[in-house]
Amino acid sequence: MRTALLTTGLLLATSSISMAQQVEPIEYTLDNGMHFLLMPRDEQPNIITAGWISPVGSVNERPGITGVSHFLEHLLFKGTDYIGTSDAEGDLAFRNQLTEIRQKMRAYTTDVQYKRFYRGEIDNPWDPANDTPELREMRAQMTALQDEQAGITIKNEFDKVYTGNGGSGMNAGTSNDFTVFYINIPSNKLELWSWMESDRLNNPSLRELDAERFVVIEERRQRLEATATGKLDEQFDSMFWVASPYNFPVIGWMSDLMAYTEDEVREYFETYYQPANLTGVIVGDFEVDEAKQLIDSYFGRLENKRAAPSPMVTHSVPLLGEMRFTGECDCQDQVEVRYRSVAYGNPDEPVLDVIADLLNGRTGRLYKSLVEKQGIAASARAGNRSQHFAGSFSFSATPKGDASLEDLELAWLEQIDLLKTEPVSDRELQKIKNQSAADTFRELQDNSSLFFQLAITEAYGGYEYLNTYPRAIQEVTAEDIMRVANEYFKSDARATALYTRKGGEAKLITIDDVKASLPEEMVGMIMPNLEAQLAELDGMNAEQLRQGMAEIESQAEMIPPQMKKLMDYIQQEMQIRLDAIESNGAESSEGGEG
Amino acid sequence: MNHAMKSTLIAVVMATGSTSFAADIPSHPSEIQFRELQFTPPEAQDFRYELSSGVPVFIAESNEFPLVTISMSFKGGEYLVPADKAGLAGLTGGMIRSGGSSTMGPEELDEEFDFLAANVSTSIGDRNARASINCLTSNLDSAFDLFMDMLRNPRFDESRFAIRKDQILESFESRNDAGVQIAIRELGFLMWGEDHFEGRQPTRESIESITIDDMKALHEQIFHPGNLMIAVTGDVEPNEILAFLESKLSDWEVGQISPDIPKPTKTYEPGVYYYEKDQPQVQVLIGHRGIERDDPNAIDVEVMNQILGGSGFTSRITNTVRTQEGLAYTAGSTFSNRVEYPGMFLSYFFTKTPTTALATRLVFDEIGKIQTEEATTEEIEIIQNSLIETFPRNFESKSAMMNLFISDERTGRPADYWKNYRDRVRSVTASDVQEAALNYLNPEQAVIMVVGPVDEIKAGNADSEADANRIATMAEFFNGESTILPQRDPESLKPVDSE
Repeated sequence: MRTALLTTGLLLATSSISMAQQVEPIEYTLDNGMHFLLMPRDEQPNIITAGWISPVGSVNERPGITGVSHFLEHLLFKGTDYIGTSDAEGDLAFRNQLTEIRQKMRAYTTDVQYKRFYRGEIDNPWDPANDTPELREMRAQMTALQDEQAGITIKNEFDKVYTGNGGSGMNAGTSNDFTVFYINIPSNKLELWSWMESDRLNNPSLRELDAERFVVIEERRQRLEATATGKLDEQFDSMFWVASPYNFPVIGWMSDLMAYTEDEVREYFETYYQPANLTGVIVGDFEVDEAKQLIDSYFGRLENKRAAPSPMVTHSVPLLGEMRFTGECDCQDQVEVRYRSVAYGNPDEPVLDVIADLLNGRTGRLYKSLVEKQGIAASARAGNRSQHFAGSFSFSATPKGDASLEDLELAWLEQIDLLKTEPVSDRELQKIKNQSAADTFRELQDNSSLFFQLAITEAYGGYEYLNTYPRAIQEVTAEDIMRVANEYFKSDARATALYTRKGGEAKLITIDDVKASLPEEMVGMIMPNLEAQLAELDGMNAEQLRQGMAEIESQAEMIPPQMKKLMDYIQQEMQIRLDAIESNGAESSEGGEG
Repeated sequence: MNHAMKSTLIAVVMATGSTSFAADIPSHPSEIQFRELQFTPPEAQDFRYELSSGVPVFIAESNEFPLVTISMSFKGGEYLVPADKAGLAGLTGGMIRSGGSSTMGPEELDEEFDFLAANVSTSIGDRNARASINCLTSNLDSAFDLFMDMLRNPRFDESRFAIRKDQILESFESRNDAGVQIAIRELGFLMWGEDHFEGRQPTRESIESITIDDMKALHEQIFHPGNLMIAVTGDVEPNEILAFLESKLSDWEVGQISPDIPKPTKTYEPGVYYYEKDQPQVQVLIGHRGIERDDPNAIDVEVMNQILGGSGFTSRITNTVRTQEGLAYTAGSTFSNRVEYPGMFLSYFFTKTPTTALATRLVFDEIGKIQTEEATTEEIEIIQNSLIETFPRNFESKSAMMNLFISDERTGRPADYWKNYRDRVRSVTASDVQEAALNYLNPEQAVIMVVGPVDEIKAGNADSEADANRIATMAEFFNGESTILPQRDPESLKPVDSE
């Protein structure tokens, strides 16, 4: 039975490699350097998914303008010189006046208001409630101008034109590494798409900049601040990445969101949205020759106005130790252990992805071990994320019952040890390869999924990766896995986040817990000693306690699982005694000062 | 045949089109001439087959990839479950997949499916249950036998059951973590009641009370050919796959057909309801009873709602609350229609605390405006064109199409519905839209469900620098009266004493 199935599987794998789909779009490049991938496909009649991508994202930003890639993405829906207003000339005059006053307010705020803030006179330099009379005057001028401009603004005309022509699912997305714009259109509307997209690339109005600023701030609240773990995740990311520009959120820091000026946004647009920096992608029911003609007429008019953007320069520095980040939130207790992995396209990427597959799913190692066998996790997963310029591999889990976050960490370390020391079986590896082969087809099944894969791989360096990557997965060996696990999963170069429920009661370990956790033959040996040890702890000073705890910590990985509860208990008792000494000390020193 | 015709059509257009490309680009997109798009909606009968047992099978062949999907839909769901066992349907649905079969324990079965790269899923929703398998066509024979054994003889393995129960109970701990989840839950309780399946929630007690026998009974009630319709898409020849299914399913006995879905009996009190939560953004849901799917005015209501808040940036609520005032990232409205009884109208937005009242007022103003003034011709035409031009998307993929046909047959949608749909949309007039707004929007019957810091929300932005017509407090709704809902224990969902 087993052998028979194994044979089927191996056959399956060999045959799928040979019949694996080659993704072969038609490539077309304009004189201005704008590149296109055309993928006619008649499986979904009458419909086209079309869009374009720029390899620009938050990695291209710097302090002061964090989030500007995403903000600009929003503003590119605000129309153009001609779309979105009933009076192009009047509108331009308003925009210029607004730009001027905004610049003045920004200069004033970052000078006067920031100084008041540093001196502790106000809590937030950007809050209108803290306006000085001068600033209040400027703000009133700005509001008056905006209200007047609204009279000639055709709100959301860009969207209305598309909607009225059968466009649907119009949207855009910004990541650390790229910004992509897309829409589904009926197959007779390719010229409309060409008109609209080339127009916003040619002369975007960046209209209604200030109202949109507040929309993005609400988006930040919705996505980050009002979610269970959003604010903590943001800081953990920051800590993990150290120098690399992956160390700030795509949506940007709040102070920067308040500060953008039109000049900053426009400069950014002109740098990163030049035609030579863009790739257009069209997938679905269309004729290639017609598409090429439309592309010539419409996108051919775009000009490169600035020098080509300089590539991202700053690399992340290696982690030199273990970082630990603890926080409380309205959330499930959870742990994440994260390592640096590799950038997109590195030959180890497929190996790391296979490792994640080995760990995930109902037949994956994490479910089998942490959820099923040990019963310490409610859920557990691993993932490799290879981004454009750097990557990370993470393990995350939520505990179950009495299990602690440290129990989960320890269980993870055991999994790593297995990966490092024992070759994965042929069948286990073949299972992953079989799934990967079938998934290759599944992911090409609909227009929009195909669109995103083409656009993103192209932004990262070439769509050909869609064809080479599945082959690389099939070539991963058990030795690769051991080598890669040893290379990237290092205890002295990792970051660990431990989140606990706010106001949650800390569960103290009792002597009985310890007793229950020990194998029977050890109870008689250890328990009497434990009491003596506790008595010894009572005599220790703060320094000794700290040393003792550090010692246990440093040996954490060598402690056998059945002794874990015991060591946790001793640590806990040390901490309790240390807290007592320290709080006494604090009181007496306060007394001394008083 | 069809394809050849289309290519010819494009060739003709291309020939005439090339001269216009040489000319200047039109100065506005409204000046672009588009070729007519011919689209005849596919008809269910062209894809419909039957097994000798009478089970309908909808088949659409597609040879682009060597994959096949067989998706089974069964009548029956959480509505069959008594309130004190709330959550039984979802739990059973998942356990059929994860609990093993008659010949294999859960681990072995999972291994086989994974090794064969077969994506297998089972679920039981509120109204219908589903079981599907997607795999390489070459593996169908072996994978399908495993699949059917699991589906007909689920083992409901005890240790997997214990794990799943624990996971569900763990997840209940976070039911008060996200404000939007609280808002949806409390609105459901208020409008549908804590017993009807639309509104109710599983609790620690209901999940703990569920036994393997409960799951077996529900499984037996739902999963048999009497409740079954099948959709097949992918790399298979219709008659071959039909014969395949015939041979594989011939000995499956018909059980009792699931009863119809019960109507809710609860009435509700309109008003402002708060749930206290310390968070930097407030979630507001404004809901009232909606309409039945087959209501003769359903399309008028659809057009009306698209203008009001259902078409993203094009709609008025999004335009006002988001674009103009910058008060929210997410804002809009929707009608969720039900086949058996009126569904729900819902408007929603998330905003910072002090502007909750202002944004609420703007939404009510928009509702008032669409009731008292006729929408413009331009607004109506944009929505009509949108619904007509996006119409083919209903039939976008073969699997979407087959599932639509199944749903239509199950719910008795009139046979000419899709054929007449575009004409019906085109016939909507400005007065139809206003009528729909007057008859189907009832702000005085609304529940305004608000989650956030209550005292600050009530005060609104009265002490801010905003200009006078942008000052608002919650006192302006329902005469300033409101109810503060009790805090609930996240696991039992029972009210807890406030601190």
